[in-house]
Amino acid sequence: MTLIYAGLSLGAVYALVAIGYNIVFVASRSFNFAQAQLMMIGAFVAYAGHVTFGLPAVAVIVLAMVVVMVIAAIEERIAVRPVADHQTQLITTLGFGTVLTGLAQLIWGTQPLEVPFIGSKEAITLAGGRVYTFEIGLIVMAVVLVVGIHLYTRRRLNGLAVVAMSQDAEAAVLRGVNVRMLAFSAFAVTGLLAGLMGFFIGPKTFAVATLGSALALKGFVALAIGGFGSFYGGLAGGFTVGLVEEHAARYLGSEFSNLSVFAILLLVLMIRPTGLFGKVQERMV
Amino acid sequence: MKAWTALRAVPSWAYPALLGVLLLALPFLGAGYGLTRQVELTLIMALIVSGLNLSLGYAGQLAIGQVAMYAAGAYTAAILSKAGTTDLLVHLVAAGLAALVVGILTGIPGLRLGSWSLAMTSFFLVLLVPDVVTILEEHTGGAHGLSGIPAATLFGYQLAPEDFYFCVVAVAILWFAAFRNIVASRHGIAFQVLKQSPVLASSVGMSIFRTKLAGYAIGAIPAGLAGALFANLDLFVSLDAFTFHVATGALAASILGGSVSVYGALIGAGVVEYGTSQSTSFQEYSLVFFGLFLLIGGVLMSGGLAGAARKLVARLDRAAGVTRGDAAEAPTRLGRIAGGTLEVTGVTKAFGGNQALAGAALRAEPGRVTALIGPNGSGKTTLLNLVCGYYRRDAGTITLDGKEIGTAATHRIARLGVARTFQTPLIPPGITVRDVVASGRYAADPASFGGAILRSRRFRRVQRRDRDRAAEALALVGLTHLADTEAVTLPLGMRRLLEVARALVAEPKVLLLDEVASGLDEAEVETLAALIRRIRDAGCTVILVEHNFGLVLSLADEIVVLARGSVLASGTPAEIEADPRVRDEYLGVNDEDDAVPAGKEEGV
Repeated sequence: MTLIYAGLSLGAVYALVAIGYNIVFVASRSFNFAQAQLMMIGAFVAYAGHVTFGLPAVAVIVLAMVVVMVIAAIEERIAVRPVADHQTQLITTLGFGTVLTGLAQLIWGTQPLEVPFIGSKEAITLAGGRVYTFEIGLIVMAVVLVVGIHLYTRRRLNGLAVVAMSQDAEAAVLRGVNVRMLAFSAFAVTGLLAGLMGFFIGPKTFAVATLGSALALKGFVALAIGGFGSFYGGLAGGFTVGLVEEHAARYLGSEFSNLSVFAILLLVLMIRPTGLFGKVQERMV
Repeated sequence: MKAWTALRAVPSWAYPALLGVLLLALPFLGAGYGLTRQVELTLIMALIVSGLNLSLGYAGQLAIGQVAMYAAGAYTAAILSKAGTTDLLVHLVAAGLAALVVGILTGIPGLRLGSWSLAMTSFFLVLLVPDVVTILEEHTGGAHGLSGIPAATLFGYQLAPEDFYFCVVAVAILWFAAFRNIVASRHGIAFQVLKQSPVLASSVGMSIFRTKLAGYAIGAIPAGLAGALFANLDLFVSLDAFTFHVATGALAASILGGSVSVYGALIGAGVVEYGTSQSTSFQEYSLVFFGLFLLIGGVLMSGGLAGAARKLVARLDRAAGVTRGDAAEAPTRLGRIAGGTLEVTGVTKAFGGNQALAGAALRAEPGRVTALIGPNGSGKTTLLNLVCGYYRRDAGTITLDGKEIGTAATHRIARLGVARTFQTPLIPPGITVRDVVASGRYAADPASFGGAILRSRRFRRVQRRDRDRAAEALALVGLTHLADTEAVTLPLGMRRLLEVARALVAEPKVLLLDEVASGLDEAEVETLAALIRRIRDAGCTVILVEHNFGLVLSLADEIVVLARGSVLASGTPAEIEADPRVRDEYLGVNDEDDAVPAGKEEGV
């Protein structure tokens, strides 16, 4: 049971990355390579808030959210908007993420920093397994976010506008949707969420500059398993990756955890390239 | 400007050749160890970067896994050497193959989903390098690295460090020559076309998947070679050389030097290596620098330094009045084209609840123009797309010369001899008029990568034929004087003619023209009509989808009228003109019904 908790909470981290990818993808059909780095910065800001400045938890959350939102907004302006095609956006967002990693290394060094969490530091026993409060927090947050976003895109006019834009930006413009503003907001919102996520993942993963690339990859696998654009799929994919990783590390050895995740990625891409929840779209030329 | 003209008179390959000679002569010019080592490291990096250029710049796939292939090559060479095989040639071949295998195995799943999947699977590869090395600790030395590699030999001759320098330079020269030969062949144009428009690429007979895989897999080879050289340079291999940091550096070098270039890799690798070796503060800030290179390179200078150099050359050329290529007019005669009979029967296609085609039928014969007309949304373009294989039909058969063409992939159908033009001309940016036309011949004569690299006799014959045919087709549509212009800058009428020329060079059995006259003025329509008549008289089967009723009546030998997805009438122009139903339905005499189904006509 302990292993399952560990897998689920790790999976929740990946699911959170996948959510970030998805929001940007649904809103603008582009892929934000720097998503995981935004969360990494969130974790560092949470560390700085807690440890360096000694702020209360609520203030730390707000600080992390605001800082990362501003960074994400800057990213949209300099790395996404000036670039027309999605292929080049891959390069520019990767570049932006690399800059963030480099800056984090310069500011906070290369050693992992432990980020505290609200509540008790001790693990509690639940249904026959040991689990930390921040692990429960992570799982709950991932599920709540996914359900919340799903309801939002289905029920609210703004959510529908985002979906419309992703289907056909030109048509959305003609209907009076401010596409640029929406794409910008999507980035800002992912930044806001990434800050919040950083606060939650920090205790689990620690704040470390290399966090970005590992999270980016695992989050992508979660997305590939679940299907691009599907929030529930990303959640299920994240949990799958987390569970596989923990079990492989436990039973095969730690050097096999990445390999097994990679094997799953290859399998999914070969057998069901659209993911478990993805829709097959007939090519329109 | 005189000096410039003289410089440009030298063939373009002479400059890199000169650089190669200079590098080979470097030790004799009194260069010390520091400089030669810098050159060696730069060339090794340049090999990795040029692999990236091939897959990213030419095949259009962002892949960051070159470092994993570099590692595969290095460990292969090191393990071989430890096992007693020290011959450098064996190392190079084995390392190249190892890298190629890694490239193909990871490229196949990654390429299926398109851009990000390959970026991510290849990125993931870099993450896996330490794990795999640890698992194979027995052979690779794990985290401690593999030391005590015996020095390389060549044909039994022991290579001293000074000799090894020449080997590195020689490998780099050979690879860059091979790379240049690939890029300067039709494969280079094919990569450009594919990158800009996969739809177009498949319509000229390229397999999208295979072409991308070829670019990515061939890009693995130089990384493997670089690995073998690296292992034999320091006679020590460890994980430090194969990190994300190195991977990002290689990508930054590629973007900085210009991904769509051959020699940009040298410049980019030079800058990155020089920076890394010079200052410790650069190393500290290196990730920030690499990131900025990517960011700025992506946003501002899409061609990198090589692109900037090319623009400068073009400007100086114009200033000095240098012209390139053959100005001789090719004869505007059109050779005989063996047409094929295309028969469509009972074809049905629904998009969700919208029945676009319901039992449509058509028969087009060689040497005749068969026109397909009908109101918007009647299924004309859908029918063309079904013939080309862009959609899968729900029912019905399509045959060419009596042979079923099934629901084959688009590029296979193109190879059977079906060429087409598009409602909105698909002309990839950055390619000259001549190359656009030449790209149409991709499927006509197969020419392998190997042939292109070695410039085999067969390759040169095919290349000559490509050039001749392209010149003929250009002359035929009257665009010879614009052959070296960038094709996207042409006005619509000329782009339509260009598309016809591109379709013609493949010597197709069946030519599909999708609303080829729309948006043209009267004079242009006249030119086009004359051209279509000549193509028909040469024996080609022409299918014309057209709204201009006057043009259809004057051109067509046979008219098929579609309405709501099925055939309303068919016959000679005279019969169709007199048919009251056609007048009702198509010319809208008393017809105000059927709203146009959304999305079906906006086209290809």
